[in-house]
Amino acid sequence: MIAERVRGIWCRELQLDDIAVDDDFFALGGQSVIMAKIQMAYIDELDVEVPVDQMFLNPTVASISEYIESMGAKTT
Amino acid sequence: MILQGKRVALPATPVVHKRFEAHAAATPDAVAVFCAGQQVTYAELNARANRFAHFLTARGHGRGAKVGVCLDYSTDMVVAILGTLKAGAAYVPFDPSYPAARLRLLLGQVPGLALIVASPATARLVESAAVEIVGVEQLTDHLAGLPVTDPETAVTGDDVCYAVFTSGSTGTPKVTAVRHEGWYNLLNWLALEYRLGRGSHNLVVSAFGFDLSQRSLMAPLFCGATQHLMASRNFDAAMAYRMLREHGIRTVHCASSTLYLLVDWETARGGEVLSRLDYVLFGGEPLKVERIVDWARREGNTCTLLHQYGVAECTDVATSYDLAEYRPGEHDTAPVGRPAYNTEIHLLDERMRGVGAGEYGEVCISGAGVGAGYLGGTGPDSERFTTVVIDGAPRRLYRTGDRGRVNEAGDLVVAGRMDAQVKVRGMRIDPSDVERALGRLAGVREAAVVARYTEAGEAELVAFLVPAGADLAEDDVRPRLLETLPRSMVPARFLNIPRLPLSPHGKADRAALVDRLKGL
Repeated sequence: MIAERVRGIWCRELQLDDIAVDDDFFALGGQSVIMAKIQMAYIDELDVEVPVDQMFLNPTVASISEYIESMGAKTT
Repeated sequence: MILQGKRVALPATPVVHKRFEAHAAATPDAVAVFCAGQQVTYAELNARANRFAHFLTARGHGRGAKVGVCLDYSTDMVVAILGTLKAGAAYVPFDPSYPAARLRLLLGQVPGLALIVASPATARLVESAAVEIVGVEQLTDHLAGLPVTDPETAVTGDDVCYAVFTSGSTGTPKVTAVRHEGWYNLLNWLALEYRLGRGSHNLVVSAFGFDLSQRSLMAPLFCGATQHLMASRNFDAAMAYRMLREHGIRTVHCASSTLYLLVDWETARGGEVLSRLDYVLFGGEPLKVERIVDWARREGNTCTLLHQYGVAECTDVATSYDLAEYRPGEHDTAPVGRPAYNTEIHLLDERMRGVGAGEYGEVCISGAGVGAGYLGGTGPDSERFTTVVIDGAPRRLYRTGDRGRVNEAGDLVVAGRMDAQVKVRGMRIDPSDVERALGRLAGVREAAVVARYTEAGEAELVAFLVPAGADLAEDDVRPRLLETLPRSMVPARFLNIPRLPLSPHGKADRAALVDRLKGL
């Protein structure tokens, strides 16, 4: 399940225990440094380079996971 | 105290696009712009820009007109910019990623804006604004019959070439105009001092609205080099790093915070692409040298880091410093170096007298870069443009409001703002000094300090702290701060905040912080 792995990455990089799938990245305190770390984690852990423009357009775990799934990332 | 930049003669008519035209004539087949897998030669770009210039002139938007450009990074954007300059007009960049309401607000701030070049998506956003919109498709489809020859205009070095928005002390965005002579001088200084030229490759990584982006866009075309544009609205570290590697990029102009992200990327993932660039030219905000020092000192790092300082009102860059010379001291700020060609830095007191060696004063700029001022502006900020007499001759001078001094090595050091200084119980305090001290404490990720006035009319400092982990308690922070600061500089109150509110330009929004204090 991509969304679970994305949520794990967000929790780690935002240093939050619990994030709902429809929480907004920026409302959670996200900014450019954290965004770059998450982008790096997507590459290392899901083998997918997510453009930052897409991260702005999809600011929740749910929507970015849908985007990543459409790119055919590793699911396990 | 005056720092004097080297005197270098400029041509009789220092007009920026004439340099581009000279390259188009001399090396027509060289690649000018590379974007989204497509390349355009100097000859093709020149022909397209000329057609747009003839289109503007035929509609009466020639010398003195203002043309808005609201496009994503693309060859079309470069055509619109060069065509506007060739018509003798000035361009005003608008970032198409801004929300519609902000775009309309900004459009309304430019007096006499002739028209705006926009993509269909952006055109919808701004259609209710009272300005004519030219669709980007017109740059290609509708201009085929127009001449491709370089237009003749009467433009001089004193004409305005571009105007950009600055936030200004009142919080309302103002649009400040730059002259051809100043921009020519800046680009010529970069070209001669750093030997940029044909065969060099630059990548634009900053947002279109910034003054630094105008320089980054034009520098390669001024030198006969190749410009690379990213198909991204937001800074994208993965994409930028990949382009640095695959496109043989040699130079990058960026804000300090963008440099940190590129350094983080290279450090975390390994690689030597950034370390092998010829130059990174950066600045625009106080440098956190600890973010880059380990990377910069790594063996094999041959990239020259130019730490630069300037203001949009005086054509972007006024001074430059090679960071290799810097040996960080504990409470030190990295210098910003010496003036550009034909530029003077003055350090003056409240009565416009020079301060002594090593003393702090207001950083003031005179010389070729001093701009044409705010468009349509007669507000309080216009008074920052003034005239001084140097060697018996009057010269225009701009008071930046920044506080600086010249160190023992003869380099300018900028630390904080003059107008940010507050008097607390008779002591003159710069809140940025307190912010730096707070930033060094364990457990503090970021800090902002603002002044407020008590009912008794006394100023007191309030610190906003972004904790790195758990919230910070006042009786924990205060004693630790007292170890490094005199009591008068230790804030009266400490408030935890999840993150600092940012202005549209990405700096801490002090007005928003002061608002939060109301009712406390």
